[in-house]
Amino acid sequence: MADTLLAHITLAPLTLDGVIAFAKGYGLNFSFLKSAYERDMWLEGFRTTLVLIAVTIPVSLAGGILLAGCLTAKSRLLSLPARLFVELTRNTPTLVQLVCAFLGLNMLISDALGGAGRNPFGAFFWVVTVVGLHGAAYHAEALRAGIEAVPDTMREAARSLGFGRLEILRWVELPMALRIALPAIFNNLVNIVKLTTVASAVAVGEITYASIMIWTQRDIVVELMIVLLLFFSAINLALSQVGFWLERRLRTPGLGPAGLGL
Amino acid sequence: MNLFRLAAAASLAALMSGAIAGAAQADATLDRIKQRGSLVAGVILSGAPFGYIDAKSQEQKGFNIDLATELARGLGVKLETVTVTPPNRVQFLQQGKVDLLIANMSWTEERAEMLDFVPTAFERSGGIALGRKGTPVKDWPDLKGKTVCLSQGANFTKPLAEEIGAKIKGFPSQPDSLLALKGGQCDAAVHTGATLRVMLLDHPEDWKDYEILTPTDLLPSLNVIWVRKGETDAREALDGIMRRLHGSGWIIDAAERNRLAVTPYFLETRDANKGR
Repeated sequence: MADTLLAHITLAPLTLDGVIAFAKGYGLNFSFLKSAYERDMWLEGFRTTLVLIAVTIPVSLAGGILLAGCLTAKSRLLSLPARLFVELTRNTPTLVQLVCAFLGLNMLISDALGGAGRNPFGAFFWVVTVVGLHGAAYHAEALRAGIEAVPDTMREAARSLGFGRLEILRWVELPMALRIALPAIFNNLVNIVKLTTVASAVAVGEITYASIMIWTQRDIVVELMIVLLLFFSAINLALSQVGFWLERRLRTPGLGPAGLGL
Repeated sequence: MNLFRLAAAASLAALMSGAIAGAAQADATLDRIKQRGSLVAGVILSGAPFGYIDAKSQEQKGFNIDLATELARGLGVKLETVTVTPPNRVQFLQQGKVDLLIANMSWTEERAEMLDFVPTAFERSGGIALGRKGTPVKDWPDLKGKTVCLSQGANFTKPLAEEIGAKIKGFPSQPDSLLALKGGQCDAAVHTGATLRVMLLDHPEDWKDYEILTPTDLLPSLNVIWVRKGETDAREALDGIMRRLHGSGWIIDAAERNRLAVTPYFLETRDANKGR
């Protein structure tokens, strides 16, 4: 087994044809890479997925912090709408939200603006918005758990130093809450990475979309599925490593176990 | 997500059973159909005239269903249908969940390498472009640089992108693509002529601002029945039935019944198979 594997590796030249022949040795048909159109669409798919992730994660985090602040606010004027939003977003499927936003809401906006040509929002915008806000709702709940875990004595101490409500949130509650909520937040981020694949339903050219376009054309589902699974596994593995690293780095002495997680 | 999930589940199952890339199967379909007493046909129900669910009776209707019924009758067995979609249809066939596909799947060289097909096709058609009235697009070359919505898996994708130079947006199904057209996400939607023409006839109010932009069909191709690779017995038996259906005029009757335009292809194939 090891011998044949080695033979394959040393015999396969590092060219496109070599890669295709190498895969063929294992019964996998990657000949679509020879078609410039499909190859470009596929490579562009990887890039678009990475861009989508890079844009959606900050949007979700910013939204999550804002929502968490509102959720824990004393004023019902802030907490009630935030609670409503979180429940609505969390309790409905992301795909349904996306289709409603893109095929429904977007059309209404176009009509109001007098034609689709004047509507600045495209499918990409709606994917970032819907997936980002979906993630934000989950972040908000994770952060709320963190904020509520901050001991009251700390809040009191801050108040006695003359901190206002917003200052307490910014300098006392959020830094503590963030540390406590980190595992949950990274859990959400891993989910967001996977959720970006709903973009394929509204023809945003990310990697799942590109793969579907190719495999419905060539019927090579298994080949592309293997690459898809490996690609998303790699991204999420890297993401959780960042999470572990942050957990270690931001560890509060005296809070939680000494050897965190790893 | 539904389509994608199905495809994912199907392909993972294929992966686990080691059935990579259509592993050879014993030529046992015909025996199994007879033993089981039923023909399991994978059909697409994406809209009239080929296949749809009747709003009143909730029954499957359309040309695909009529043809499948007639094939089962020809083999002397009952018919069972399984609804498939472009992303999962080949997996369903390769894993033996269906005996054959009548699934708007035209003949291409790549598919013929992986699957076997019944040589006598049931229909020949191409794509037409639907767009807003008054657009400058008057023929296929005018779509260069324009955005075109279509269904994922449509075989018009390649010629539109590579030869005409259109920007492609593929949606999970024809209804999604048409909604995107109405939402202004594309300059035209390209789908099989037979389905678009029937839709315009059935819903004139919904489509009063739209018209068919192209005078000719794009990439007319043969719509064939697909079976697993190497299933010669089943293919031969089905081909015999198909030739009889053409020759007796049954295919033309079924086309007319389902409002599928009777093209010269139907007449030629009938004449070629007369007396069978």
